[in-house]
Amino acid sequence: MAQTPSSEARAGLKLISPTAIYVILLLAVPLATVLLYSVLTGGRGTVGLPLTGENYAELWSKPVYGYIMLKSLLVALTVTAITVLLAYPVAYFVSFHVKPERKSLWLFLITIPFWTSYIIRVSLWFVILGYGGVLDSTLASIGLPPLNVASYSILSIIIVLAHAYAPFAVLPIFVSLEKVDRSLLEAGQDLGESRWVTFLRVTLPLSMPGVIAATLIVFIPTVGDYVTPELVGDGKEPMIANLIETQLLKLRNFAQGSAFAVASMLMVGVVSLIFVLLNRRFIGGQK
Amino acid sequence: MTFSDDRPTMIEFKDVHKYYGDYHALRGINGTIKAGEFFSLLGPSGCGKTTLLRTIAGFEDISSGVVMIDGKDAAGMPANVRPTNMVFQSYAIFPHMSVAENVGFGLRKDPRSKEEKAKAVAEALEMVGLKGYGNRAAHALSGGQRQRVALARALILKPKVLLLDEPLSALDKKMREHMQVELIKLQRQVGITFILVTHDQEEALVMSDRIAVMFEGEIAQLADPETLYRRPATRKVADFIGTMNFIPAEILSEAGDKVEVDAKGLGRVALDISQAPAKTGETPVVGLRPETLTLLYDDQKPTERETDGVIDEVIYFGDMTYYDVYLGGTDVEVRLSMRNVPGRPVLDVGTKVRVAWSPSALVLFR
Repeated sequence: MAQTPSSEARAGLKLISPTAIYVILLLAVPLATVLLYSVLTGGRGTVGLPLTGENYAELWSKPVYGYIMLKSLLVALTVTAITVLLAYPVAYFVSFHVKPERKSLWLFLITIPFWTSYIIRVSLWFVILGYGGVLDSTLASIGLPPLNVASYSILSIIIVLAHAYAPFAVLPIFVSLEKVDRSLLEAGQDLGESRWVTFLRVTLPLSMPGVIAATLIVFIPTVGDYVTPELVGDGKEPMIANLIETQLLKLRNFAQGSAFAVASMLMVGVVSLIFVLLNRRFIGGQK
Repeated sequence: MTFSDDRPTMIEFKDVHKYYGDYHALRGINGTIKAGEFFSLLGPSGCGKTTLLRTIAGFEDISSGVVMIDGKDAAGMPANVRPTNMVFQSYAIFPHMSVAENVGFGLRKDPRSKEEKAKAVAEALEMVGLKGYGNRAAHALSGGQRQRVALARALILKPKVLLLDEPLSALDKKMREHMQVELIKLQRQVGITFILVTHDQEEALVMSDRIAVMFEGEIAQLADPETLYRRPATRKVADFIGTMNFIPAEILSEAGDKVEVDAKGLGRVALDISQAPAKTGETPVVGLRPETLTLLYDDQKPTERETDGVIDEVIYFGDMTYYDVYLGGTDVEVRLSMRNVPGRPVLDVGTKVRVAWSPSALVLFR
């Protein structure tokens, strides 16, 4: 019955081959194409030789591109910070204060926003934040001036994104908190620390892997989010994804669009790498 | 062996009750633990011994009664200000810290300088036999080493009471026996009160000055190990501590400080009243430890009393042999233990033997 490691490895390869082929065709090939296009000479709807660095030079030459990229980065970081900061207490509450038999119900409830299409959720934010919306009419009823949040595109983008990604942040933090041995918290108090200091010295550091996972899960997709700025900001505040869309679909300059895409990937890659290194520091101290 | 009564009281329980919903976990605990004592809470799982320990540590609120620690009512005193420190069953070593950081965890508010604290940590590690382990990652330690770290981490704070929640249960037998001796030595060295929770009666007997045996949320007997072993207060305690033979008996008379009984297979015996603990309303039985019964070889004379018997079972242990013997032509079977010394052959099943016993070793439960 015993299988040699190599036959086991072969069986394993066979098992993952459909997925592997799928990943290669739909991820590696397009990625390679984008990388290649970004160094080709682009025309309207065409790409061709010779190889050139002009697409990247274009990116550097116009400050507007740098501004949009920086803005995307800052919006994504703000959204990530808000989401993770708001998700942590929720995850903490479910992990520490909800009875074990109720926890799965709570997690289920947290995922309820996913039951509705994202477009509908964004539209509903208009009803809340928009001109004459729920927020402003409530303020008006108690005699306060309207805020008209929807007219501040970046603020609305941040609010909508932070809400949309909240469940993604709650789950990894919850999992890492669940793994914290409760006797460690008693030990912290037994050794003379208050609940709050025990949280800071024991619970928080032990849940950092979950916090960093949540950060990555929220940060990576929000940098490249296309739908939200398009709908919420009326396209007035384009983000990097909108820039790429304009190049690829409207101007049909595949080479330039690919260069933007690669630049955006590099940016995400660098920031993610920082988080991964931070994560390793925390994981390194644990089993 | 008895613990001196003139020592000051460290912990005092006054009618302590604890309910978890409808479940009555502690049912009127009374008793005192003396300063500098090695005290054990012994009992089967679910008897409330860990709950009682946690009420001392401050992790459980009691439903009624009073817990006094060093003369102060502990009610409303949170765990972090109590003069107690605990070695947890799981050791609760912080996995994200080094050994030295673990041991120094409780020193944050200590006014001493960084260097002095580091020195204290090194000394604590040396005391538990982990000199030079400070920089190791806590997760890289073995079970025995974790336990030592947990000990050092608690003792460095110089608590008045050290609480140990089944600290040896996760260790293998050799390591456990080794740590038992180390803990006794450590307790003598630091001189503070140790309160040990255990379900292992042998461990409790070996280590403790006094033991509280608990069943179903009550203390069944609180005594020094020898009293507990030789004069258990109830049949249940006798059964829990070591092995005891129970022989049906009839009480013939009780006058002054003498009780006369007729024990099946042993005959009439006059017992001192000290051998008959307070009545609990059980059917009367007399108890005899296996080692108080002796097989007589050849023409050996009994020192006190002698009864005939037939060997029913032989259990060979190397240094010892256990015999199950029917007493005096009855269906009463007792287990007795004999040390295997030269000139004392192991006997076969069915051998007719003479069994010597001493009336003073009997305990009457009624």
